[in-house]
Amino acid sequence: MKLYEYAIRRILLMGLVLLGLSLLMFYLTRGFLPPSFALAPYITPRMNSAEKLALAQSLGVATQSCPSFQAFSSYQPSCLVPVYEQYAGWLGNVLKGDWGLTLLPGIAGTQTTLSVFFSRFPFTAELAIMGAILTILIGIPLGIVSATHNNKLPDHLSRIVSLGGYSIPQFWFGYVLLIIFVLYVRVGGLGLLPGSGALATTCAICFRHPGTVSAATGAPILDGLLAGNLRYAWDSLVAMILPAITLSITSIGALTRIVRSSMLEVLRQDYMLLARSKGLTDRVVIYRQALRNALLPAVTVAGLLTAFLFGGVVVIEIVFDLPGVGYTSLQAVNVFDINFIELYVLVTALIIVVTNLAVDIIYAKLDPRIRY
Amino acid sequence: MTEIEPVTKVERSADLRYALHLFRQNPLVLVGLTLACGSIAVALLSPFLVNPNSWQITHPALKNCWNNGLFGWGNPNIAACPTVHALGTDSYGRDLLSMIVLAIPLDLQIAFEVVISAVVIGVVFGAIASYAGGIVDEVILRVTDIFLAVPGILLAIVFLVVFGKSIGILTAAVVVIWWPTYVRLVRSQVLSEKERPYVEGLRAMGAGRLRILFRHIVPNSIYPIMVQATLDIGSVILTISALTFIGLSPSPLLPELGNLASLGGQYFFTAPWLIVFPGLTILLISLGFNLLGDGLRDILDPRLRR
Repeated sequence: MKLYEYAIRRILLMGLVLLGLSLLMFYLTRGFLPPSFALAPYITPRMNSAEKLALAQSLGVATQSCPSFQAFSSYQPSCLVPVYEQYAGWLGNVLKGDWGLTLLPGIAGTQTTLSVFFSRFPFTAELAIMGAILTILIGIPLGIVSATHNNKLPDHLSRIVSLGGYSIPQFWFGYVLLIIFVLYVRVGGLGLLPGSGALATTCAICFRHPGTVSAATGAPILDGLLAGNLRYAWDSLVAMILPAITLSITSIGALTRIVRSSMLEVLRQDYMLLARSKGLTDRVVIYRQALRNALLPAVTVAGLLTAFLFGGVVVIEIVFDLPGVGYTSLQAVNVFDINFIELYVLVTALIIVVTNLAVDIIYAKLDPRIRY
Repeated sequence: MTEIEPVTKVERSADLRYALHLFRQNPLVLVGLTLACGSIAVALLSPFLVNPNSWQITHPALKNCWNNGLFGWGNPNIAACPTVHALGTDSYGRDLLSMIVLAIPLDLQIAFEVVISAVVIGVVFGAIASYAGGIVDEVILRVTDIFLAVPGILLAIVFLVVFGKSIGILTAAVVVIWWPTYVRLVRSQVLSEKERPYVEGLRAMGAGRLRILFRHIVPNSIYPIMVQATLDIGSVILTISALTFIGLSPSPLLPELGNLASLGGQYFFTAPWLIVFPGLTILLISLGFNLLGDGLRDILDPRLRR
């Protein structure tokens, strides 16, 4: 099988996975929650029951033969549309980009789910990217040290760091950092302290320079750079440091362990012995020969790390009070905004499966031994 | 037969000695073993140490106070309790130490239930997938793909929203996000195991497919599953506490480590202990099982020997 055939097969499978997931999500949110939940974003207090019935029918939640809204709200069988029929209609709308209106407090019924989501998503993406950068910068060197000093003190120390990262509750780590930096180590001058004066808000990004930079993309660092306001970009970067460290702690642990074990595997190979017997120094052997081969397997976990980062943002954004999609998703959960929850889960899944696909294709390109 | 017996005994004791040697090389396993066994011991003794119903009784007058002569928080805003509370009181005026002691058995119980259910589901479906092959294998794999495409915590949030917040649903939601890993793990183990010569031998002897699968292949591939299960106890506790921390706890009073920490979320400036100690407990339990699992892998995984 050629690489492009493999890629096409994988893209088809990816579509299948997303379709399956959307079906699962739809059945959970529409099949198990009362059908009236789907109407909630569209209902205004002044609507009479005839208008409500017409609304339910136009949304495809109630049948055309349903006699009254009362009959619909009391779940009379003649009024209920089977979930699979609803799904077909929903899927059609979603593929056209219509994810319905949002039910989030303050903007319920006035904004589309898609616009709310994508106004807040860039912030989360920026946080996740910073987390990914930290993961790579810390995880890989730590894994190498651990493998080259197998079962010696540096290995034990990096094991503690990686297992600690793997075992630490992220919300706790975030608060401990806040407690340390807010209560004990006052570095407010640096601006590291998320609001050294105003403790009520930990979101320095949102309140430090109100209105100075227009939110062109929604990602504060990028906005600052685009507007040419370096001060704003720098402050946003600094304010993101604690959340990004907290977010990346688990993936640092995971990456360290993977790099360590694949490095150990490579160091045990015969060609390592050959390289040493040629008289190459340890440095060259490890960084030129072993590392390249050891990093290949580590690349394959990029999808897993993406999942860690995007799963972690919910908790991190709550601890640090950050205005991203993770925080918004909990608001959505509290008001049963099923449109938003569906969109959030499916976009996150899309990011993860696309990462996995990209990784596998790049991997096949990088490693000539792989045949499909 | 009697002549063969001593030989196996020698092999066993050599294996044991080698395992002990690895234990000595990696003292962290002992730390893990101590932490894991310690948390289980606290969980078992918990009903005798603390009145199991004390979490339902609130004392508004004692809200968020601290009285431990050994350590002060160096902050004038922190209120002093009239009596000694080793780890302070929470926002309902309950003794935080007692609440943590009550929370440990609950968290561990949920974690063990989740991991055992996930292992059972994983063994059944993983073994079927790898042994049946073909379309069955493909369908099971694609279903696990669906569950693995989403960060577990998001899927669990959806489950808790749809089915309501209770300890049972919480456990079920975490099982739903955990089983696919085990299906994959068992499947790959069985695939490599079923090519071994002894399987062919059994087949030649006329053993049935199910018998070969569940009596021979599965028990032979159990070590990696045991290691993964040990590692996952910690991860499951982290997931559960994260879920209850973000507000998906069945009751705000519930003595569950994540829920106890969430009570401190809005007071982290005036009552930092509310966050520090429940979180530290989660860290120690989770670290214990992770260190133990990591060490077990080194001992049980023959590829890492020498």
